[in-house]
Amino acid sequence: MTTPTIYRDLLLEHARHPKNSGRLESPDLQASAFNPLCGDELELTLSLSAGTIQDCKTQVRGCSICQASASMMSEMILAKTLQDAGEISQIFAESLRKNTDEIPESLDSLRPLIALKTHRSRIKCMKLAWDALEDCARQNET
Amino acid sequence: MQNFPLTVKAREDFPLLKRKIHGHPLAYLDNAATTQKPNCVIDALVRFYENHNSNVSRGVYTLAEEATEIYEEGRESVAKFIGANDSGKIIFTRGTTESINLVAAAWAQPKLKTDERILVTEMEHHSNLVPWQMVAQKAGAELVYWPITPETGSSDGGRLDLQKLDELLADSVKRKRSFRLLAVSAVSNVLGTVNPIAEIIELAHARGVPVLVDAAQAVARMPIDVSGWDCDFLAFSGHKIYGPTGIGVLYAKNERLEEMLPFQGGGGMIRQVGRQTSTWADAPQKFEAGTPPVAEVSGLAAAVEYLRNFGMQEIQRHEYELTTHALKRFAEFEDLELYGPPETIERCGVVSFNLRNVHPHDVAQVLDESGIAVRAGHHCTQVLHKRFGIAASVRMSFGLYNEISEIDRLFSALDQAREIFLK
Repeated sequence: MTTPTIYRDLLLEHARHPKNSGRLESPDLQASAFNPLCGDELELTLSLSAGTIQDCKTQVRGCSICQASASMMSEMILAKTLQDAGEISQIFAESLRKNTDEIPESLDSLRPLIALKTHRSRIKCMKLAWDALEDCARQNET
Repeated sequence: MQNFPLTVKAREDFPLLKRKIHGHPLAYLDNAATTQKPNCVIDALVRFYENHNSNVSRGVYTLAEEATEIYEEGRESVAKFIGANDSGKIIFTRGTTESINLVAAAWAQPKLKTDERILVTEMEHHSNLVPWQMVAQKAGAELVYWPITPETGSSDGGRLDLQKLDELLADSVKRKRSFRLLAVSAVSNVLGTVNPIAEIIELAHARGVPVLVDAAQAVARMPIDVSGWDCDFLAFSGHKIYGPTGIGVLYAKNERLEEMLPFQGGGGMIRQVGRQTSTWADAPQKFEAGTPPVAEVSGLAAAVEYLRNFGMQEIQRHEYELTTHALKRFAEFEDLELYGPPETIERCGVVSFNLRNVHPHDVAQVLDESGIAVRAGHHCTQVLHKRFGIAASVRMSFGLYNEISEIDRLFSALDQAREIFLK
């Protein structure tokens, strides 16, 4: 990949040994996301306590970028409120859309992913886990 | 570097093939998705817009007459190319998908009854599956799958078994639930399997079942003979035979044309319009509402002419050689999982596979770094991929300009994928 080696190694590490992989037995919230372009799918399960994410797991059938993104997301959102996590997701989406190289401080740990945004075909792979997260946030609002 | 005479002649005709990707010469191996365009096709489009642009069939001035002539000559030329004896049986559409949807909406839907069925195969592209699901659901009819033979690693796997077809047809007669249509592709866009279309049609017709042939993959790879096959419908896209996008063809035999209701309403498809009702033009205009894609037809005619100059048999032989080489290379690697028949018997142009434990997206991206363009995904065949128990695969597919050396580059570049993802 054309991303700097350090980023690539970080992504591959997450892809090979994903954090919080699997499925919670009795989740408070659950959402699935599907990439119709390639058939990849992902399930996110969350447990909440007073609006804060206590535990989360992702079950991924997807490529290395999809898997790495899910793993990084799970590390990032633990112990955050679902609302805050949803906001991070929106900032992430925004920075993937924007044409600049600037990355908000709050997304520093997602740099290796954002560096790949020039590969437009892979953005859906990066977003799959976050789509599921936003789905959970919406479910929680209603 | 090994070249075939055909490749040497052809490569110079395609300006896009001169591009470098990430510093490497482009190896374009995604011809099942779309083909590159030769200069003669690009020139035809430019020539039309620079010299003849005007609407067809509506004006009496010189330009309009020229445009009409170009459009109708294009129809003649396509008719000849696929062995149709009358250009009136050629309907221009936007592509294979629209051609099939036209048959679904204008022919199948009005006729389909609750106790009838539609027969499709497990290897169909979504474009020859979803329209049938839609009409079947609307009518409360049943969609039946003709299964492919199991993947045994032998040359019998990934094929359509004629014996099975005969059983399905006989069973439907016995149960008095007749098939309104059999929709089948001539060549699989994933497995590359060449289906025995003539035999399939003969069996189906013996039981009174009309047949639609999806020739999207076949038409650039082998001679097509709609009259010899006696197919009821045949659909294909211009962009997969080195022509422009946005132009497709539907062939329908006379009996079926007569049964078809109009598809879309509008200009060009009418005879007379009253305040409440209208009467229809004759086929094929009856099915071509609105301003037709005249420039695209001129490009398609140029592509057909280009292929005719090479000869479809010559192109078929060329793709056979490439496919044989690719399949031979697969045998060298035990971590590559190949789908479809492992031999070049009744197989052409398309080879799908997976590198074990590496996602096809990741494989395709690494190949792109070396300038090799392949497809990764389900290739619009989710039913087939589920049948294999996989979500996605990597697909290489050949065109008349591809070389053995490009296939070898792909196999070498797979080492980089192994290095990155499996070390």
